[in-house]
Amino acid sequence: MPGRTVTPWLLVTPALLFLTLVFLYPVVKLLLNSFSVGDTFGLGNYTSFFGDRFNLEVLWRTLRVALVVTLVSAVVCYPAAYGIQSVPPRYRGLVTALIIVPLMTSPVARTYAWLVLLGQTGIVNTALLRSGLVQEPVRILYTEWAVYIGMAQLFIPLMLLTLISAMENLPRDVVPAARSLGATSLQSFTRVILPLTREGLVVGGTLVFTGCITAYVTPALLGGARVQLLATLLYQKAGVTVDYAAASVISVVMLALTLTVAGVLRGRGGRT
Amino acid sequence: MKTPRHVRLLFTLLPLSLAAAQAQKTTLVVSGFGIAQDKIEKNIAKPFEAVCGCNVVFEVGNNADRLAKLTARKANPNVDVVLLADYFAKQASNQGLFEKLDTAQLSNYGKLYDFARDPLKDGTAVAFTVYSVSIVYRTDKITKPITSWKDLWRPELAGKVALPNITTTQGPPTVWLVNRAYGGKDSDASAAFGQLGKLKVLTYYNQSSQVTSLFAQDEIWAAPVGRFAWGGLLNTKKPLAWARLSDGQAGLVNVASVVKGSKNVALAHKFIDFMLSTPVQTAQALDLVDSPVNKQVKLPAAVANQLTVGVSQVAGLRFMDTSYVLTNRDNWIQRWNREVVK
Repeated sequence: MPGRTVTPWLLVTPALLFLTLVFLYPVVKLLLNSFSVGDTFGLGNYTSFFGDRFNLEVLWRTLRVALVVTLVSAVVCYPAAYGIQSVPPRYRGLVTALIIVPLMTSPVARTYAWLVLLGQTGIVNTALLRSGLVQEPVRILYTEWAVYIGMAQLFIPLMLLTLISAMENLPRDVVPAARSLGATSLQSFTRVILPLTREGLVVGGTLVFTGCITAYVTPALLGGARVQLLATLLYQKAGVTVDYAAASVISVVMLALTLTVAGVLRGRGGRT
Repeated sequence: MKTPRHVRLLFTLLPLSLAAAQAQKTTLVVSGFGIAQDKIEKNIAKPFEAVCGCNVVFEVGNNADRLAKLTARKANPNVDVVLLADYFAKQASNQGLFEKLDTAQLSNYGKLYDFARDPLKDGTAVAFTVYSVSIVYRTDKITKPITSWKDLWRPELAGKVALPNITTTQGPPTVWLVNRAYGGKDSDASAAFGQLGKLKVLTYYNQSSQVTSLFAQDEIWAAPVGRFAWGGLLNTKKPLAWARLSDGQAGLVNVASVVKGSKNVALAHKFIDFMLSTPVQTAQALDLVDSPVNKQVKLPAAVANQLTVGVSQVAGLRFMDTSYVLTNRDNWIQRWNREVVK
């Protein structure tokens, strides 16, 4: 029955061609570029990139921001998602809508709002000054703190939505069942709820982490030139100084980071 | 107001149009910035099409992207005229991507300021616009006027200054003039980097729109700024002044060149000549797109105040040699990242 084996291939061919052309080919080309030094191949671009202390600082800062934001959003969202889960169904739609609204606003608009809020004369500083907690405005904008705040706000809805759907898949009677078998509330959390929602944490964590690694607008506007991340450095190399060698190395590093983290998290998520 | 100017423009260029009408209808491809493209279509592309009997197509993008495209298509160029910031144009010129300009074909060449005639110093480009870089400051917060680059280091300005990032076009001239102000030689920018490393800077901006919002939100009181941003800064309604610096304002130009291997070299020259003509330069200035490099352009004071205009302003400008920037820029970016942005 040759028809049976040919048809599936015919069906996936358009998608396969599309992916090869616009994804696989550019990625392979990028990899090759990052290893080409003049007309030969070598590690020259990598050694000069990693040999510069400034670049290493940017790499480390990017990792730090991504890790902190991922952890914070997990810690903040987990109890929130559990709480939302126990909201009566008729209000749940409203709560979900409230989470989704920020996602429907452009990151540029959200980031500009932070520029106004966090500034010297912004709401945050005005409140701090009035309360007498500080004597003069606190410098938040154009520091790493501003990037943490902006990124957390950007990605918390993603984590929250992922965790809510994970919690929804949690069978309603597993906790009472565990308790009736003598488990403490801590035990029913660590032995029952957490393992059953681990997949949600993994998916949410991957989304937030890769989002942080690749976000451009937020670090560019809130951090400024002083708080460079890999994405802003990449733009500088490719768009301003026309240093394609360094730009392709940064792209490969970013790709490697996201793939590694996705792989590691998936490994952990699968283990029960 | 507008109709007479266009009518006049058509009459000035009538002879040109008659000559062109006999030619086949060709397409001239111009690589441009894409900023205020609607005004450029209105002031340059459409009127030029009317007189040349050709089509003008713009390909737009930032300097780096378009330079990369020119390099990639060196053997088989698809662009005839390219408009770039001087420093990027010099890189292209050094790669042999430009034709030598035949100034005899540029009827408006004699009307240009000296600095606009051969900005790359190799005969491959003319400047079509100029802008100055100086310090803008809040007159209510800073009562003693700023008259020198060194004034940025005044104690009352600590933490209230923004600098252009080194990767912007205003960055290198700032380093250059600060270096000179502190007695440094052009061959060694250590004086500038030593001082800039000590300056209490709030942030380093990448776009002029960022400076505007920094001033608008009272975040900064002073910053070196390109003149093209002045109109936007005045719109903030803050009490701002454009400093007249005793140690010099920097002048920067954008240039036009004919791409090597273009099949429309003569037409490309005509287009560049058209851009330099008094009516077009006036129209572009009235729309606040570009400051003129043509000495014959006359503008109302309200417009002139927002641009870099007139012999008195232009005479004080210091132009950085593009080869000098090209030699030093990579090193400056590295030093800036290590010694200034910490």
